[in-house]
Amino acid sequence: SFTGLANQTFCTVLLYKNSPSLKTRESEDIQQQIIRETFHLVSKRDENVCNFLEGGLLIGGSDNKLIYRHYATLYFVFCVDSSESELGILDLIQVFVETLDKCFENVCELDLIFHVDKVHNILAEMVMGGMVLETNMNEIVTQIDAQNKLEKSETFIFQSPRQDR
Amino acid sequence: MSTFVLAAPIAGKSKEAEIKRINKELANIRSKFKGDKALDGYSKKKYVCKLLFIFLLGHDIDFGHMEAVNLLSSNKYTEKQIGYLFISVLVNSNSELIRLINNAIKNDLASRNPTFMCLALHCIANVGSREMAEAFASEIPRILVAGDTMDSVKQSAALCLLRLYKTSPDLVPMGEWTSRVVHLLNDQHMGVVTAAVSLITCLCKKNPDDFKTCVSLAVSRLSRIVSSASTDLQDYTYYFVPAPWLSVKLLRLLQCYPPPEDAAVKGRLVECLETVLNKAQEPPKSKKVQHSNAKNAILFEAISLIIHYDSEPNLLVRACNQLGQFLQHRETNLRYLALESMCTLASSEFSHEAVKTHIETVINALKVRGVGPLRGQERKGLDVRAGGGAWMSGYSLEREVVAILAEKYAVDYSWYVDTILNLIRIAGDYVSEEVWYRVIQIVINRDDVQGYAAKTVFEALQAPACHENMVKVGGYILGEFGNLIAGDPRSSPLVQFNLLHSKFHLCSVATRALLLSTYIKFINLFPETKATIQEVLRSDSQIRNADVELQQRAVEYLKLSSIASTDVLATVLEEMPPFPERESSILAKLKKKKGPGAGSELDDGKKEPGAEINGGMEPSASTAVRYLSLVSPHPSCSLQSTPSPSADLLGLRAAPPASLAAPTSAGNLLVDVFSDSPAAAPAPCRFVCKNNGVLFENQLLQIGVKSEFRQNLGRMYLFYGNKTSVQFQSFTPTAVDPLVEGGAQVQQVLNIECLSDFTLAPLINIKFRYGGTLQNITLKLPITLNKFFQATEMQSQDFFQRWKQLSLPQQESQKIFKANHPMDPEVTKAKLLGFGSALLDKVDPNPDNFVGAGIIQTKSLQVGCLLRLEPNAQAQMYRLTLRTSKEAVSRHLCELLSEQF
Repeated sequence: SFTGLANQTFCTVLLYKNSPSLKTRESEDIQQQIIRETFHLVSKRDENVCNFLEGGLLIGGSDNKLIYRHYATLYFVFCVDSSESELGILDLIQVFVETLDKCFENVCELDLIFHVDKVHNILAEMVMGGMVLETNMNEIVTQIDAQNKLEKSETFIFQSPRQDR
Repeated sequence: MSTFVLAAPIAGKSKEAEIKRINKELANIRSKFKGDKALDGYSKKKYVCKLLFIFLLGHDIDFGHMEAVNLLSSNKYTEKQIGYLFISVLVNSNSELIRLINNAIKNDLASRNPTFMCLALHCIANVGSREMAEAFASEIPRILVAGDTMDSVKQSAALCLLRLYKTSPDLVPMGEWTSRVVHLLNDQHMGVVTAAVSLITCLCKKNPDDFKTCVSLAVSRLSRIVSSASTDLQDYTYYFVPAPWLSVKLLRLLQCYPPPEDAAVKGRLVECLETVLNKAQEPPKSKKVQHSNAKNAILFEAISLIIHYDSEPNLLVRACNQLGQFLQHRETNLRYLALESMCTLASSEFSHEAVKTHIETVINALKVRGVGPLRGQERKGLDVRAGGGAWMSGYSLEREVVAILAEKYAVDYSWYVDTILNLIRIAGDYVSEEVWYRVIQIVINRDDVQGYAAKTVFEALQAPACHENMVKVGGYILGEFGNLIAGDPRSSPLVQFNLLHSKFHLCSVATRALLLSTYIKFINLFPETKATIQEVLRSDSQIRNADVELQQRAVEYLKLSSIASTDVLATVLEEMPPFPERESSILAKLKKKKGPGAGSELDDGKKEPGAEINGGMEPSASTAVRYLSLVSPHPSCSLQSTPSPSADLLGLRAAPPASLAAPTSAGNLLVDVFSDSPAAAPAPCRFVCKNNGVLFENQLLQIGVKSEFRQNLGRMYLFYGNKTSVQFQSFTPTAVDPLVEGGAQVQQVLNIECLSDFTLAPLINIKFRYGGTLQNITLKLPITLNKFFQATEMQSQDFFQRWKQLSLPQQESQKIFKANHPMDPEVTKAKLLGFGSALLDKVDPNPDNFVGAGIIQTKSLQVGCLLRLEPNAQAQMYRLTLRTSKEAVSRHLCELLSEQF
């Protein structure tokens, strides 16, 4: 299962992947192919059709589903297996976006591109190994805040001068 | 930090500039890592982070792993975090570093620092490799159930364990901790409960008994959530819906078990389900789509559970009504899910009758808007389809709508033809092969719609651009029934031909091949088109076509049309005989998808109708044979027999010069063909697991058999060898030459169709005169029910789900018996495969055991079968368990198979 997000100009960021087969170097092509395919499928869909797509072979067969949501210029795509509820995942995407919004204060596309690591962290608080970990937005935000605090305190104490930039 | 890392590539204006910039950066980092000066933690982190980003941009990274591993042992969160991130993204499992990484993880797990523990658990879950499982699978349960573990760690530990279990189930030891995991359902922290439910749902599929207690806990948890006001759960309330994810998960968990036996628990659950259904009728607390989404997510799971239980008629009716409402909803998501649920409802195997009446409820709900019940559905279906033309692989909805709505309730087949042709016109790309195969099947089988269908396709083909599938249907139907509309000058034969031929060049090879067959059929139907069509066939683009198939067809059809007399032509190109009225391949496919006992061979649905249609186009043995004599009818196994030269009238396919009594020098030559000599066991028993061999032998006669089976059909070749040097006279079965010369062999072909499940093998009676005395032999034919077994591959999860669904005592048949042959696993494997079931690897936790799955295909029904064979080498015993959806089948198969070992 993976989470992806794509904008309308076909610059896709594979945010998170969780399938051992996707880990090896040789499979990078497959990854790219998945991204392209997914984007292709999702982007040409009308607004008024449903948000679930049955999985093709690429994403692991029909047990898997693509579930996506469209926000302004961005598509958020989750690929999940049949153990998850479709509408539940749709809501999870909403929670994800709302959380991003809270953490970045009015999130925009550039935030996501410039702070990939943060987005990763937020997603990691929600989804772990492709499974839903936490759905409570406040809990997630608390965790992220705690991390930021830790990070800040460490940076403050240990930061060496930025010589090379 | 990240901005500065990112600035690097972003600064590059073009691709080349970016690559240049990155190479420079990589060189810089490399030199830093190699430098004499030891790097401090911060710089290490910085460079590792840069490497990671460069990798994510799609460039290769071949160094820095060691530095990343070093970061793991840092005691600063940010450094550790980057280290772990790098490891989860970039480390491959064969790496030297695994030992070091595992060591660092071990330290973090033991650190009692919740943040570090979570990082370590995340890393394990994200990598999820077998090595990780080996190292930590026994450690994590301990963390999970320890009393002093923090909530956030428990949550991560539960999911981490789930992940390891999914990758390497054999490495996760069950034990004392399982009962304590179940009690996590009572945890204060909702996040912990959610994670625990996911874990238990997966674990209990394999060990339902170990986790049985979770049912009552889940029910009480669910009821607390469902009955709470939307403010009670505070943070876990999502748009006024209390804990939707947890509710969904709990309902999913309950779907792993049969209805609770304890009346109190059951009562409470029913109450919950009623509340959920009631809430659906309440006015929404918010206009936001999130609110209704969350509410409906729970509702759909509740409905699935109701369907799964299949025991509360009251709830079932309400569920159906609810689905009916959703079917009319303007939100496509809901329509889609409702259709899906409706399918499960419809294909629920155990209460077919009950479900039927419920489906009526759904239809009634649809009536409100539609013209009539059927039109309503049709319209709805097409609406959904037209709007959702981009259903990814489209199949699911197509099948659903077509199968359920049209097939089951089509009373008027012209309506069906209309619907499907419309469907092909509107969304040809998304129509699966089954759909158009099926429409042809229907048209051929019902003469009342043939004229109508011909007219409709003729009209449809007049559209300037029409879908290839339409051309296929059109070609087929006009080839068969074009004569029915030929009277009208607007659709005279030549007009029909020209219309079809105008599409010819735009079509794929397969379609063109089909059209060529249509043309030859036209020559038969309308002699006046012969010259035109021969001209077309003779053209270079056909007769010299680069495609072998097309070329062959063109050449053969041309010859056929010029050589054969009208009579021969008429016989060869006879109208297709009706297809055996079997279950629709579409419905079968649907069942396969949803039904518990049904199979799941992916391409199977395609193959089957393909064989019907293409095989049918050129009359092949099975169709031509249908008109010929019957030899030994049997209540449930009809045999059709004929000497085989007539089997292939066209001779287009290489016809074996079969029963021309090929004289062989000595009868015993035959024995060499079938290497193993007849053993002492009665014939049918020996043939349970194999299809070829010697069926019978005495001093005079030897009968060899060769057979093949597919789906519910089979063909059997019997070879009668005269072992003497004297002629046999008045040899019957009559299909065989009445005179069998000394030392000669004759062949008989039997076509077999399995109509329903059976236990007694059909008999064949052989009579002949040998030197004046009448010989009379009656034999059981080696046809047993398992011959119609179709192997089904499935995952362990599916297997156990189905296994569980077949848990009624009468569905199971078990036998414990002593081994009669040496217990060789390879031999056993071969026997099970010969028996017809698929052998499923890695399903049974005990590798010595064998499990198999398949479907018994009969004309009237399909029976899903699961089997498990447990050898006990010490005791020299086997235990065989069969579970099928039909009692008689379980028993019979169990008997048949148990005699084989």
